[in-house]
Amino acid sequence: MKINPNVPLEYGTEENSNRIFGFWIFLGAEIALFSTLFAVYFTLWNRSGSGPTASEIFELKGVLVETFLLLTSSFTCGLAIHAMRHGFKKATLVFFAITLLMGLGFLGVEITEFVTYVHDGATLSTSAFLSSLFVLLGTHGLHVTMGFLWGAAIMIQIKREGFTPDTTNKSFIFSLYWHFLDVVWIFIFSFVYLKGMM
Amino acid sequence: MMKQLFPIKHVMGYIFSLVLSVVALAVLMDGITYTVGLAILLICAILQAGTQLFLFMHINESKDTKTSLYLNIAYALFVGLVTIFGTLFTMIWGY
Repeated sequence: MKINPNVPLEYGTEENSNRIFGFWIFLGAEIALFSTLFAVYFTLWNRSGSGPTASEIFELKGVLVETFLLLTSSFTCGLAIHAMRHGFKKATLVFFAITLLMGLGFLGVEITEFVTYVHDGATLSTSAFLSSLFVLLGTHGLHVTMGFLWGAAIMIQIKREGFTPDTTNKSFIFSLYWHFLDVVWIFIFSFVYLKGMM
Repeated sequence: MMKQLFPIKHVMGYIFSLVLSVVALAVLMDGITYTVGLAILLICAILQAGTQLFLFMHINESKDTKTSLYLNIAYALFVGLVTIFGTLFTMIWGY
């Protein structure tokens, strides 16, 4: 295995740098996926029928907590990669742990929000608005759940094997995914919640 | 050590993203029209996405792949925007 010393370890082999490139292409497909869900939501968001409207069910407090958690976790994820590039194993693991815990906190708030909606009679089948809302938020939440499991698996590997071309490459790709989920959330925060409460 | 763990660029980027989220809240104030509100949301969201892309995701860190990654994201955004505005064009705006 030829490792290029002039680039960060995760880019070191040709295969690894191709993996990072390939993941960017996957993120391009994710942009297309979320665009379709946003398109559906924007089409249906005021078709609430006899169910509640957006401004009736959205609560600013939970949304702000979710936004704060994801923004901060994105920051600590960036710090984890930065620490990784300096070879600080312990700091990387701590930053990843904080990142994942905040992701878990985000999911907790989101699930509570869903339970509240359903409790108030706003379910997936109540109206076109709620169907499109749950599918958009649910797809994002599912991504965060996957990210949590994925990140936890990578943390175990770093702990076991240290920083190798493999583990650094996986960590960096995971960080791209996590930052991307934050970007998607920003658009949900702005164009679903804030726009809905305007 | 602290300086190595918390690089100033990342800290500034984080603060910038928090500030942008607070600025976006301005759209909830009375007296902001719908159009102005949408413009504020759009500008804040684009700046937020840029912060993530350039600062945290290091999209431009490698000279070899930089152009391809820009093209990839630009193309994905093109597909996404056509999907969203094409849908609105046919389903909402009534053409």
